[in-house]
Amino acid sequence: MRREYTCIICPIGCDMTAEIEDNEMVSLVGNNCAKGRVYVQQELTNPIRTIATSVLVKGGELPLASVRLNKPVPKASLFKVMAEAKKVILLAPVRIGQVALQNVAGTGADLVVTKHVDTIH
Amino acid sequence: MENKDVIIIGGGPAGLAAAVQLYKLGITNILILEREKHLGGILRQCIHDGFGLQRFGESLSGPEYAQRFIDEVRELNIPYMTEVTVTEVTAGRKVTAISRRGVMEFQAKAVALTMGCRERTRGAISIPGTRPAGVYTAGVAQSYMNLANIMPGQEVVILGSGDIGLIMARRLTLEGAHVKAVFEVQPYPSGLPRNIEQCLNDYGIPLFLSHTVVDVKGHSRLEGVTVAQVDEQYRPIPGTEQEYNCDTLILSVGLIPENELSLGAGLTLDSRTKGAVVDEDYQTSCTGIFAAGNVLQVHDLVDFVSIEAERMALSIQECFLSSQFGNAEIEIVVDASISYSVPQKTTGKKDFTLSLRPKRPGRNCTVFVKQENVTIARKKFAKVLPAEMIQLAIPAERIDPEKKLEITLI
Amino acid sequence: MRDNTYDILIIGGGVIGSSVARELSRYRLRIGVLEKELDVACGNSCRNTGMLHAGFTYKPGSLKAECAVEGNREFDQVAQELDIPFKRTGKVVVGFSDEDMQNILRFKRIGELNGVRGLEMIDKAKLNQIDNSAGGEFALYSPDSGILNPMLYNIALAENAHQNGVDFFFDSEVKAIKRQGEHFQVTAGDSVFSSRWIVNCAGMHCVTISEMLGLHGHQVKGFKGEYYVLDKKASQFMNIPVYPAPNAKGGFSTHATPTVDGNILVGPDSYITEDPDDFASTRDHMQGLVKDGSAIFKHMKAEYFIRNFAGTRWKRVDPETGDVLDFLIENRDDHPGVVNLIGIESPGLTCALPIARRVVAKIQEKEVLEVNNDFNPYRKGIVRFAEQSKERKKELIATDPDYGEIVCRCETVTRAEIVQAINNPLGAVTLTGIKNRTRACMGRCQGGYCETRITALIQEQCKVREHEVMYQHKGSGMFIGKVREVLDGE
Repeated sequence: MRREYTCIICPIGCDMTAEIEDNEMVSLVGNNCAKGRVYVQQELTNPIRTIATSVLVKGGELPLASVRLNKPVPKASLFKVMAEAKKVILLAPVRIGQVALQNVAGTGADLVVTKHVDTIH
Repeated sequence: MENKDVIIIGGGPAGLAAAVQLYKLGITNILILEREKHLGGILRQCIHDGFGLQRFGESLSGPEYAQRFIDEVRELNIPYMTEVTVTEVTAGRKVTAISRRGVMEFQAKAVALTMGCRERTRGAISIPGTRPAGVYTAGVAQSYMNLANIMPGQEVVILGSGDIGLIMARRLTLEGAHVKAVFEVQPYPSGLPRNIEQCLNDYGIPLFLSHTVVDVKGHSRLEGVTVAQVDEQYRPIPGTEQEYNCDTLILSVGLIPENELSLGAGLTLDSRTKGAVVDEDYQTSCTGIFAAGNVLQVHDLVDFVSIEAERMALSIQECFLSSQFGNAEIEIVVDASISYSVPQKTTGKKDFTLSLRPKRPGRNCTVFVKQENVTIARKKFAKVLPAEMIQLAIPAERIDPEKKLEITLI
Repeated sequence: MRDNTYDILIIGGGVIGSSVARELSRYRLRIGVLEKELDVACGNSCRNTGMLHAGFTYKPGSLKAECAVEGNREFDQVAQELDIPFKRTGKVVVGFSDEDMQNILRFKRIGELNGVRGLEMIDKAKLNQIDNSAGGEFALYSPDSGILNPMLYNIALAENAHQNGVDFFFDSEVKAIKRQGEHFQVTAGDSVFSSRWIVNCAGMHCVTISEMLGLHGHQVKGFKGEYYVLDKKASQFMNIPVYPAPNAKGGFSTHATPTVDGNILVGPDSYITEDPDDFASTRDHMQGLVKDGSAIFKHMKAEYFIRNFAGTRWKRVDPETGDVLDFLIENRDDHPGVVNLIGIESPGLTCALPIARRVVAKIQEKEVLEVNNDFNPYRKGIVRFAEQSKERKKELIATDPDYGEIVCRCETVTRAEIVQAINNPLGAVTLTGIKNRTRACMGRCQGGYCETRITALIQEQCKVREHEVMYQHKGSGMFIGKVREVLDGE
């Protein structure tokens, strides 16, 4: 079976066409580098994604601090990650790089703060 | 009246990069004027990653990318003011700004316009129907969700497959809203392919090309929209109308460089980019007024915004050193295959980077930069998309000062 | 426990109801206004061209003609008293053909019969002097015509009335009216009111209220008109209202009018609607406006489009013949205590205060009204920072630093003005109300920059939660809640 993919590894976004049989990649055309092949393979076996979201901050200049996963997690676990993120409350001041939640939903990835939020005066 | 060598209007990615570069080049009598409470510009609300891959080799979120530059501004002690709104820039480079402290006036040797852009509105594209609550441009919805902790709605339809709309489709879905569909008036998506993948396909959100919203319904709050297929002239095709119930309509229908101040200074705008006409120094038609970033042309990668701003800073320094601001006379024209080019003129005396956007998607094509029959530069591409800016280096030594540069994409 | 007993209840807080309220507050009376929406100026009072008509298009001897001329003459003083923007720009009605000349001359004659001053026929040269972008071989020049901001006029009338003791009740749709001896019992919103007099200023719903009052047999017909609002940049090409010559029936086709704030309005067109709440813009009519608008105003281009709106002129019609009739202001002996206004459509804005005085006169025919010596005709509006001199701007910021925080970039509206608008005397707080009072959100970015700031200020000043922020109408909540809830009740 033929399937189209647009690679998301780098901004070039190669359009690739793969021949798939029994969920195995038989052939691949259109990729500019080896990462494209790795990407398609990953998509077939265990699609992974990173996401960004927000967590509550108490006592901060802003009500939210943006966070993101520090490494990709299985696509299927994204909503579980979100459910965990919704429970997090950080205390201002909050700094970029601070770990908001470790090993989110057992994925091995951490939710890391991506925005400084100072304490409100 | 305070004298400054350079006033930078806007402390977003372009303004910050320009400021840092100017400072490193030894131009220190500069001032960044930013209207928000914090530096960073629009990046502050762009919490998704994908920024900085080119620049830093990492996939950062908007706030992180901005913070890299803000940290440098602080380390170098570059002067900046926040919560200041510039209300006027004159051709003579007098800058008037308003803040809680009063009205300030500056006389600048050079002004760097880095104000970014605004979103195209419902009214600008004449969407018929009522005017209920629940219609938001994507950037405003993003600001509500990411900065104000406010959820705009629950049942969502998105018009426009630009990157901001796609990002918001994902954001809304992850926060529990139901994004029913994305409609795009063009026959191809406006946003980057990786966003179509990660924001729509991942969540099973359908994308309908060659469609638009033809009616908005609801008295107090939005109740639904009518969508229809469009023909090659973007006219709705009768009989193709479909109703979608929704309480939220997100519009991602284009960005317009924010040039109201520029108009006040009397500089010439390019009707295609809606940004200033500039030469390879990023100097506008007003001597000593420069522009870079989204205010000049809408970019798709913030990394290129920073690079463009840094090139502008370098040019400002060169102008100061040579005590003259150049006079570009060689026209750069594009044909029907290309939407626009930046710069639009050149002096022909220095190498420069040409930015352009193809008008339509294409495969295995080449950009030719010619002067009559002589090819000055060319670059081959496996794939081109209107959503992705193309850049190529133009060597000055090959330029004939008597002829214009013609760009085509074949 | 509030005492809901009034001498006079006015149904409708539009420009007519607010004018009546203001004029009645010159007398010692307990006056209340019952407004269905969350603010004044929510019906057709905010959906019109903002013209101060001179009075040359109305049948001589009619109330429309009489009130238009009267309202026009006094408006410089009215605008000064109420502190609202107004420009007596004059107006030209241009023509090309002999037929145009006949139709235009007819207006001149009618105008002169009605007492309109200064009407003159001018040639092309004089026309170009007055407005060099107006196309036409000749024109009727009406120096007394003018332009005003109808929302601010309505708001100013209401605020002045309130200042002079009138109570305004919002979200108070009149559901039932019962006569109880010398009084009426009126159920409106969640409350019951009692009053000796009722003045029906319900505009598009005037017949509904008239029926409730037992005054049957009136009929109104809705002539809906759509508009385009164009960017201020387009107004550099048009100084004064330029109307094309009327057709033989005296009707005007699509025209373009500058607004007192510097935008251009293209429209209205005209078609029938049956629904008093029908304010939708429709594709066919929008396309028609673009086509006709481009013919008379060459800057009718998408790059200048800001937004669209629609309004409806509810004309009183003869139930038998369907002919359009004059304004009706009636007080019938068999229905004491009621002043019934039917069909107050264009030129309702121009005629508002003259109509209000006639309402007062009707009441005075039946009872002696004691003059309110404390009546103050002067009302102060919100100072527009954008219009002040540099020196004055500095002074304003020095007294209140909120003037140094620009919230609406496109229209240069400061935080001080937004806060004043939120804390307005009538107590009405919607995003649209703030827009009407300050010009915020009316610019080319349509709130792209300021809307998030204004909604934050509403929450802060009124101490309301996000789902309580209203866009305009009841139930027009802008947000459904928070993205992240604070769980411990903070």
